[in-house]
Amino acid sequence: MSALGYLITRSLANSVVHRIKRLRQPKYLLGAALAVAYIYFYFYKFLYLAAGASPGMKGVAGGGSIYVGATILFVGTLALAWVLPASRAAITFTEAEIAFLFPAPLKRRTLIIFKILRSQIGLLFISVFFTLITGRWRMGGDAWTRTASWWLMLNTFALHRLGASFALSRLYAQGLADWKRRLFFVAVVAGFALLVWQAWTSLPLAPAGPVGAFSKVTQLAESRTLQWVLVPFKLVVAPYYAHGWREFAAAVLPALGILLAHFLWVVRADASFEDAAIENARRRAKFIASAQKGETRFSTKSGKARVPLFRLRATGFQATAFLWKSLIRIGGKRTLSRWAAFFLALAATAVWLNHRGLRDPSPGLIALVVAIGGACYIALIISFVMVGQQAAGQLRQGIAGMDLLKTYPLPGWQFALGELLGPVVVGTLIQWAALGVGTTLALAFIDSEGHGIGRAWIPIAGVAVFLPLFNLGTSILPAAAALALPGWFKPADVANGTPGGLEVVGLRLLMGIMQILLILLAFVPVAFFGAAAWVAAGMFGCDFAWKVTATASSAMFVLALEAASGIAWLGWLFDRFDLSGE
Amino acid sequence: MVSLDRAGESTEGAGTGMIAVDGLTKLYGDFAAVTELSFTVNPGEVLGLVGPNGAGKTTTLRCLAGIIPATRGKITIAEHDIAEDPLAAKQALSFFSDEPRLFDYLTVQQHLDFTARLYQVADAKERGMALLEELDMADKRDLLATELSRGMKQKVALACGFLHEPRVMFFDEPLTGLDPLAIRRTKELIVRQARDRGVAIIISSHLLHLLEEVCSHFLIVKRGRKVEHGTLADIRAAHEGADLEEIFVRIAGEDAGK
Repeated sequence: MSALGYLITRSLANSVVHRIKRLRQPKYLLGAALAVAYIYFYFYKFLYLAAGASPGMKGVAGGGSIYVGATILFVGTLALAWVLPASRAAITFTEAEIAFLFPAPLKRRTLIIFKILRSQIGLLFISVFFTLITGRWRMGGDAWTRTASWWLMLNTFALHRLGASFALSRLYAQGLADWKRRLFFVAVVAGFALLVWQAWTSLPLAPAGPVGAFSKVTQLAESRTLQWVLVPFKLVVAPYYAHGWREFAAAVLPALGILLAHFLWVVRADASFEDAAIENARRRAKFIASAQKGETRFSTKSGKARVPLFRLRATGFQATAFLWKSLIRIGGKRTLSRWAAFFLALAATAVWLNHRGLRDPSPGLIALVVAIGGACYIALIISFVMVGQQAAGQLRQGIAGMDLLKTYPLPGWQFALGELLGPVVVGTLIQWAALGVGTTLALAFIDSEGHGIGRAWIPIAGVAVFLPLFNLGTSILPAAAALALPGWFKPADVANGTPGGLEVVGLRLLMGIMQILLILLAFVPVAFFGAAAWVAAGMFGCDFAWKVTATASSAMFVLALEAASGIAWLGWLFDRFDLSGE
Repeated sequence: MVSLDRAGESTEGAGTGMIAVDGLTKLYGDFAAVTELSFTVNPGEVLGLVGPNGAGKTTTLRCLAGIIPATRGKITIAEHDIAEDPLAAKQALSFFSDEPRLFDYLTVQQHLDFTARLYQVADAKERGMALLEELDMADKRDLLATELSRGMKQKVALACGFLHEPRVMFFDEPLTGLDPLAIRRTKELIVRQARDRGVAIIISSHLLHLLEEVCSHFLIVKRGRKVEHGTLADIRAAHEGADLEEIFVRIAGEDAGK
């Protein structure tokens, strides 16, 4: 055990020293300063301290209900460990830990205790973080008691999850088939649901709306039939709601007792976790390797060979080869056809809803239109940032294989363009679909008389033609950052299996701010020439459609120039990318 | 240092060879990974690049392949200066790293299609098929890279590298992790490229016995500097008939006595 203690303390100390040492590099110092400022001003001053100034948040009125609500939430979280368990023992070791510790003469119990102790540093950080972000909902006590309470709840949850996975793992080993376990679980849930139903029907009617529903749920939880079920969970949550140290001391003892019971349950479980741990470590190593290559969810699935969207001829524009490769990576013809079918179905639904909405604007139909249309517009807004990021991620992944890329006989700008094109093309198609569906649904309200629908589509078409270049433009800065400052974006900490640290958070924050500023800056000439085209078209007596066409064309021309310059710049950076420095 | 070049074979400095290196120096900050390295490799020659760990072998190969820029010196590949005209130089070369780098989501055939487009190989279909046949990979053409063993991945990398019929090839530890049969086949392939097509080849490896079988010339480097250069016979003659391994041990162990 002393060797394991040494491993934990030395790893922590080395990690802290490493992080402090690298603050000598200005980029990390800047990143750390930004991150500290962000945490101080946003989490502490805005989220946490502002809560103290808000009497509505601090009062104990309704505290009982919130306490019960929090308990129910906690019950739900714990139930997940049984409803959605890890397929096998949920204990994770790194590959190095497996290599050193598994063959060593150590008991299983020692390894479990090691993992529990090792997780404490992370849980402590999460506890502090949760204390800050839940500052607005505090009912009493101070920061210390709330942090300790969070630590207790998180630890109880972690141990419960581990214990549940061990229990299930043992059941599997004893030959309990999946369907039997599920049947047993369904029987338990059904019995409990019956109990809840009985209690629910015996309660008095509550006022309509979410407040009434919440009030009824808390009454249910405190009903004679069910209150005993919640007792152990309430005991774990209770310290968070304690007022002052004395109440906290009284509440913390039972919670600690439950935690200790969980601890004993876990360390005494004689479940075989080694196979599952090795499998988890392999998966984790694969994930880290993917992250290091800059891969995203798009690319991690393997399996069957994917059919390319188009046939790649052996000769022609070389950048097309990267687009072709990207589209295969994204999923090939099959995945893209499924997406296309989904959006066609959505478009057909939108047209149908539009027609129904114009004839019969019933509340249910309106709710459906608002839900789908809203989702489309939200997806569209998110995509304005995401497509560029996705494209830059694709380029970063390319950089990971720079050894190979550098031997290809093609200019850097073709590589940059080719790598960015795939996500830009797919992202733009999704945006067009979202824009089309969202607008079709919006028109059911805007133009209920059916007049001027064509006119409403003109600016939408203007936006649509604008999107490909916009997406290409927004991907240039993060891509350039990856090429110009690879050390900033190389997930070295991910590779080591440790979190990035404050300074990395700060660096990402800085990059996000710079990206937004650059997008705004890039739009100044676009907006200027667009506005000039609008005014000029007005002076020549053009109608609305021609004005929009002139504005969009002018803006697109400027944006195209900017994007071309950006791609040329990326190519220049690629050609001068010196792997010697990496 | 003994220089053993013979007229008509390998020569000092930048000459008219398919690979001509003159005064190559690569610095990492203040550290010199390679210092004033000069040699040429003529068509059909296979040069074994030998040296202890950290001698600068991989750095040399990466500079030659245009992966990293040289700090000083001139590198000419098929008469194209790699710094001045990198695209033409790269069109003439292939670089094979110790670890075959493939795209997980592409099949064997798709790797060839992709490579063909990059190198503009008009008759890639026929060439690719012939290469896969030669490498016993024809029945694996629709498999994903993730479904291949390491040896098969190495073969795919070779097929991609051979597709555009390069006149210069660089191999960095090409036999690492291969089974004896795969080692033998790879060795034969390399020899055939030099013998039948007159390709100029440089191989970096620690497998000295294998290099002795494959290489016509050797360049022994230590701490980034040339120590020996010439045919095996010449180098052995200068070392009283010792075999390559013995020579290597002597050179690598010189520091131990200091």
